[in-house]
Amino acid sequence: MERGYWIKSKPIYTSLTWHEKATSHLVLATGIGGMAVLKLFQQMHPTQPVTVLYGKYGQIELDYSDTLKSIIQDDLHLYKFEEDLLKKLQVLLRDATMGLRIYVAGSEGFIWDVVAAAKPFGIQESEIMKEQVDTLARTVYCVHCKTITKYVTTNITCCNGCERMLFVRDHFSRNLGAYMGLMVDAESPGELPAIEEIYP
Amino acid sequence: MSTINVKVAAVEEVTPLIKHFRLESEDGADLPPFSGGSHIVVTMDAEGRTYRNPYSLMGSPSDTRAYHISVRRQESSRGGSVFMHERVQVGMRLKITHPVNLFSLSKLAHKHILIAGGIGITPFMSQIEDLKAVDADYELHYAFRSYEQAAFVNELEEKCEGKLYCYADSQNERIDLTELLRHQPLGTHVYVCGPSPMVVAVLETARNLGWPENNIHHEEFSAPPVGEPFKVQLARSGIEVEVPAEMSMLEAIEEAGVAADSLCRGGVCGRCELTVLETDGGIQHHDHYLSDSEKVSCRSIMPCVSRTKGKRLVVDL
Repeated sequence: MERGYWIKSKPIYTSLTWHEKATSHLVLATGIGGMAVLKLFQQMHPTQPVTVLYGKYGQIELDYSDTLKSIIQDDLHLYKFEEDLLKKLQVLLRDATMGLRIYVAGSEGFIWDVVAAAKPFGIQESEIMKEQVDTLARTVYCVHCKTITKYVTTNITCCNGCERMLFVRDHFSRNLGAYMGLMVDAESPGELPAIEEIYP
Repeated sequence: MSTINVKVAAVEEVTPLIKHFRLESEDGADLPPFSGGSHIVVTMDAEGRTYRNPYSLMGSPSDTRAYHISVRRQESSRGGSVFMHERVQVGMRLKITHPVNLFSLSKLAHKHILIAGGIGITPFMSQIEDLKAVDADYELHYAFRSYEQAAFVNELEEKCEGKLYCYADSQNERIDLTELLRHQPLGTHVYVCGPSPMVVAVLETARNLGWPENNIHHEEFSAPPVGEPFKVQLARSGIEVEVPAEMSMLEAIEEAGVAADSLCRGGVCGRCELTVLETDGGIQHHDHYLSDSEKVSCRSIMPCVSRTKGKRLVVDL
């Protein structure tokens, strides 16, 4: 990335720490995000009720399910599939009240899937504490055909929808949970810069 | 700042302490449209000094033929509210600013909790019209000293259709803020307008219960606090201005003929912020705009409400 250059829309992630002021806490994590949860539980435990949803999916990802089970005395739910975790999230949010604080740790894709699931409940993304772990792979939105291509690890990628070669920008849409992808060879078809894996 | 010339079309005594004014444009044209929660600044030319007081627009935003404001006569008035009560009559000309909204309803909210104390009811009068227009879920909690002194209770009861909750201090009725804010569904926003202790209590209760800042909204039209007189030196214009005890620094600067920028005149919006170059006694910050660390640093002052404890202040203006 160029020095001194920054696109404001590019999200900045933090490491999870408990909110001191809350009425309840909800922690969501997948894969290596389990380590972020373990780190969170190294901190002083909140006095309010805590619920943890953890998903182990993806074949090669590390699985923290057993460690979490032995460490976490609170309400812990384990899932094999992200869809099931997100369904449970929606069930919990339906009855939740103001004062619930939400924490997410996982890939950027998972973080913004949670944001999207919480949005219909009136939760703004800025309220959700987010820790990015594991991969830097980007979700890319094709500004030409509107198709979303997931798990992009290279600076230039082929759109899943229109097969244009897209340059992956830092410009991020919180609404779509995706980076903007623009056709890279529109002016000189077929002339592509070197394709490199920069979001491993 | 561009102003609108209006004439006073009607004056009504709502309670012994509150007067309601209907303002129409001088040429009979429609006034600029506004959204619920907006306010205007009324300029009053009294002998020897000019008052500029902000008042919430309390009419329906769908009616731009007239603006409606209500003014409570302040016990420790510096003059503005007394001028409105004693001098302003039907037919009189006044200058007002365009409406500005620093207390707007969140369009993302799923539910709105409105909390008013006394004359702090006024911004909610126009907001309720906006909420009703979109059939939003809301509750209005209105606290006042006594039913005799409370303005617009009957009108509100009719408008709010069961969503109005009244609390009369004289009958020992208090809002249990913790109870009220503890059980609200996700996506609820809280709005408070009233005396300073009430605003602080609502902000603190909501924050302590873990409400995010984005869901907490407040407005406070307090008169600038009275203090000790001091001198302010305007470094760029090379002018020295005396700030009397009962006048705000902003008013004194304006009186000296310097066009300082301002908007809310209540220490909320941040528009009038001035850089402090020198101070011999520190700053008495009365605003809700600067962060605690900025206040401690004394590098900025909001002249609409804040003063110095010393004798002399130098600002970059």
